[in-house]
Amino acid sequence: MFQQRVGWRWPSLSLQTRLCWAGFLFVLPALLHLIVFKFYPMVEAFRLSFYKYDLMTPPVFHGVENYKTVWNNPLFHQSFWVSVKYMFGVSVPEWFLAFALALLLNRGMPGRPVIRLAYFFPIAMSQIVVALVWKFMYNPLGVVNTLLGAVGIGRINWLATEQSALPALILIGIWRGIPLFGVIYLAGLQSIPKEYHEAATVDGAGPWQSLRHVTIPLLTPTILFVMVMSLLSAMKVFLNPLVMTEGGPNGTTRVLPYFIYETAFAYHRMGEAAAASMVLFAFAFALTLIQLRLLRRGGVE
Amino acid sequence: MRRWLVACLSLAMVVAVAGGSAFAQTITWWEHSNPPHNNYSKELVADWNKTHPTMQVEYEFFAMTPYFKKLSASLSTRSAADMFTVIDTLLPSFTTKEVLAPIHPEWLGYKNLDDMKKAYLPGALDGYIHDGKLYAVPMIAATFSLYLNRKHFQEAGLDPDKDYPRTWEDIGRVGQKLVKMQGSTMTREAFDFAMHSSAWTMWYMEGLTRQYGGSILDPAGKKCTANGEAGVKAMQVRSMYVHKYKISDPTVSLATNALPADDLPKGRVSMFITHAGSVAQFGPKVMEDMKVVPFPQVNPQKPVSIIYGFALAVNPHLSEAKQKQVHELIRHVVKNPKEWYDKTSYPYPSANFLELPGMDEARKTRYLDVFIGDIKTGTYVTRSAYYLEISDAMHRAMERVVLKNEDPKASLDQACKEIDAALAKP
Amino acid sequence: MSSRALSLWGGRLLTILTIAGIGVTLLPYFWMLSSSLKTSSEVFELPVRWLPREPQWSNYPAALSRGAFGVYFFNSAVVALAVMAGNLLVCSLAGYGLAKFRFPYRELSFRAILSTLMLPLEIVLVPTFLVVRGLGLVNSYGGLIIPLAVDAFGIFLMRQYIKDLPDSLIEAARLDGCSERGIFWRIILPNCKPALGALALLTFRDNWDQFLWPLIVASKDTLKTFPLGLAQMEGIDSAAYHEIMAIAVIAMIPTAIIFLFFQRAFVRGIALSGLKE
Repeated sequence: MFQQRVGWRWPSLSLQTRLCWAGFLFVLPALLHLIVFKFYPMVEAFRLSFYKYDLMTPPVFHGVENYKTVWNNPLFHQSFWVSVKYMFGVSVPEWFLAFALALLLNRGMPGRPVIRLAYFFPIAMSQIVVALVWKFMYNPLGVVNTLLGAVGIGRINWLATEQSALPALILIGIWRGIPLFGVIYLAGLQSIPKEYHEAATVDGAGPWQSLRHVTIPLLTPTILFVMVMSLLSAMKVFLNPLVMTEGGPNGTTRVLPYFIYETAFAYHRMGEAAAASMVLFAFAFALTLIQLRLLRRGGVE
Repeated sequence: MRRWLVACLSLAMVVAVAGGSAFAQTITWWEHSNPPHNNYSKELVADWNKTHPTMQVEYEFFAMTPYFKKLSASLSTRSAADMFTVIDTLLPSFTTKEVLAPIHPEWLGYKNLDDMKKAYLPGALDGYIHDGKLYAVPMIAATFSLYLNRKHFQEAGLDPDKDYPRTWEDIGRVGQKLVKMQGSTMTREAFDFAMHSSAWTMWYMEGLTRQYGGSILDPAGKKCTANGEAGVKAMQVRSMYVHKYKISDPTVSLATNALPADDLPKGRVSMFITHAGSVAQFGPKVMEDMKVVPFPQVNPQKPVSIIYGFALAVNPHLSEAKQKQVHELIRHVVKNPKEWYDKTSYPYPSANFLELPGMDEARKTRYLDVFIGDIKTGTYVTRSAYYLEISDAMHRAMERVVLKNEDPKASLDQACKEIDAALAKP
Repeated sequence: MSSRALSLWGGRLLTILTIAGIGVTLLPYFWMLSSSLKTSSEVFELPVRWLPREPQWSNYPAALSRGAFGVYFFNSAVVALAVMAGNLLVCSLAGYGLAKFRFPYRELSFRAILSTLMLPLEIVLVPTFLVVRGLGLVNSYGGLIIPLAVDAFGIFLMRQYIKDLPDSLIEAARLDGCSERGIFWRIILPNCKPALGALALLTFRDNWDQFLWPLIVASKDTLKTFPLGLAQMEGIDSAAYHEIMAIAVIAMIPTAIIFLFFQRAFVRGIALSGLKE
């Protein structure tokens, strides 16, 4: 019976080698897919960043001109900073609010299932629906202004005023992100054995001290994970500015992915768009590298 | 024996080729989404399919904003439709890259291009001509005119037929009697410009600038001249209803969202500039309360207005035979201008449009004279392959002046810097 | 104040904040539902109407008739389910391989896979389209589904989860003569249910409303997804918002249902996958 089922191709190889191949074969489908649909296009995009390409005539080699043009384009710099503001504007509140949410839900509150449902509902809403509903709510004649009017704040044209457009979008980002990261934190909290907290209380620690010295240190990897995932996902945001503000007013909501899309498909400057995307990619890569380094220092892998 | 065999084979080949073309083929036609006229397009397609069982048309339409991006992406990968609708402002970005097939007037039933021009209103084809060749056949000629709400005028003690504004300053004056305030909030604007799209901004700004004797680009389309004297005056007009006359308020108006022409039928604004197609979009009930008058002027003695249009273009990668077929389809689509007008309220720029039978009624009830008048005095926006970059820069400049009250000259200087940078790129 | 009073007030404040928080969270949903039942003039009425005077149930059939929404929703469902299935299968395979096997360049492969998370679609839109066209998949379900069928996040999730499964289980199965394939199907997958549930939910949600990719890949009306239909409803000049909201409500139903049913598995899946690691 042992001889029948062992291996399916190379029964003569050692167990070690066979397992080696098996592991590789398991990963192979994913790798192939990613090579064809992610890595190859990425390499192509990198190659295109050195060409002038307007999508309709053949590409012409252009050296590093695209990078120079992008660097000298004030609109690119504006977009870069809009993206940075958006990323941190959404992520940082998310870190704290999602954590607070998880703490809240971890205590046995009455009606917990209902509360949990309510808070986690935004996870179920599709992106495009979010964009359309919020656009609707931010209308000068819409709900948000009505509610503010009830507390005495005047009418603001949210999506058409330079100072308020980006904050309006950031609010939506936070609204949508808190449930997801809250779940991740909650999961982390629930996996801390109760003994640790009990030991702390026995030692005389109050709730705040317990939090600072027991919970947070144990949650460090989760916290770091949330920090980087929230930044990366905020960086990729594109649909909301597209549907809600078209990057305006005056470019104050033109995040970098939108700049790239516009440069490639509206202005037909694919090479420049590719160069700008390489900058975006390098930025994201640096961010992720920082996380991996911090994780390793945190002693976990 | 051999000669017989060769003859048989040749005959077989001929039969095969002829027979092959008897199999059903398709022509694909792409359009942008535009509710009243998409329905008429579908009717035309159904008509054609009935009479052309071996050459069926497949019609698809897409939301306006992504449509042109999809078109560029498809043209780049040679997967675009056989025939597609283009807007005149974006035509140069395609013709300069030779992704449109030149139109053959002979295949449309004309002797040559000059002959074809005579069939249209003077200048109507100019928007589609590049380097002396025609690249698209017009389907719709649109122009901007001034719509006003009769009831509001009458309530304010004005006579809509006599007191309607003829100049931009008139709008300001008349508007002050029409605006409604509640405390410091404007509950009804007297007049509004649409602010939702850079295309509309360009049309307004080009119209205004031309009226002052300038234009946004120099005639060669190589340098930005929007920050000249004419442009600055144009920008001042653009923003004076907000800041000087105070009859317009961007925070009240829905024109800052994608609903520009919605304010007028809902009674939130008394006067609004929009295009001829709005007549059909508003519907007869709303139009009962409306009046349409010509595009406001700086100098009514020398009227200048703005026109744009949609036209049908042909995919250049088609075989010559297929291109001929597409030309047949084009003929079918544009063959009945009166029907176009009836079903979509968009005029068609044929030379004899006003004289077509049945037009008299339209002239009386649908303001056709006004629209045709504006078309006759209208010019297309200056051609440029970088149209979108230019219009986005102008749109941002407008936003800075209207929303932040920035100085028009400074704002236009910045726009010109951005535009010149874009034009300078190889 | 005594610590008791403090904690009492603290508790009350907490309750108030919680309720306020729920209010903010659910406000868009409420608004969406309410607007979908209004007439087109009620939608932008001033002052704001919270509830329609009379629920306009006819908005729903009217909205659906504005485009071939039956087809669009069907396509969205097909794309979402197929991509979900693809992810569930391929990501668990890859996660298993990365978690429980040792082979040369394993860590490098993992890092490379993770790096694809940093790619927004817009960057690689045209090259990806060229690949799809080269494979002859333009304007087909294959073209809509296959490029999306594997996502690095799923691989990451499954790897983390499977790592925590005891090695002894696997070794025992090997000793019993089970083939590697058998181990995967009979031992690993059944023990991955929470993670699979979480992944299924997230993948479905993220792909149910695909917009940009179908826009580029599909031109046949019969292949469009519902976001493309929604975008078409916002015509050049006027948007029937009450009808758009009706479609939005309909669009929310599948994800809401799936979420309601899989909520617990979702939390457990994330929890046990050791994302805390």
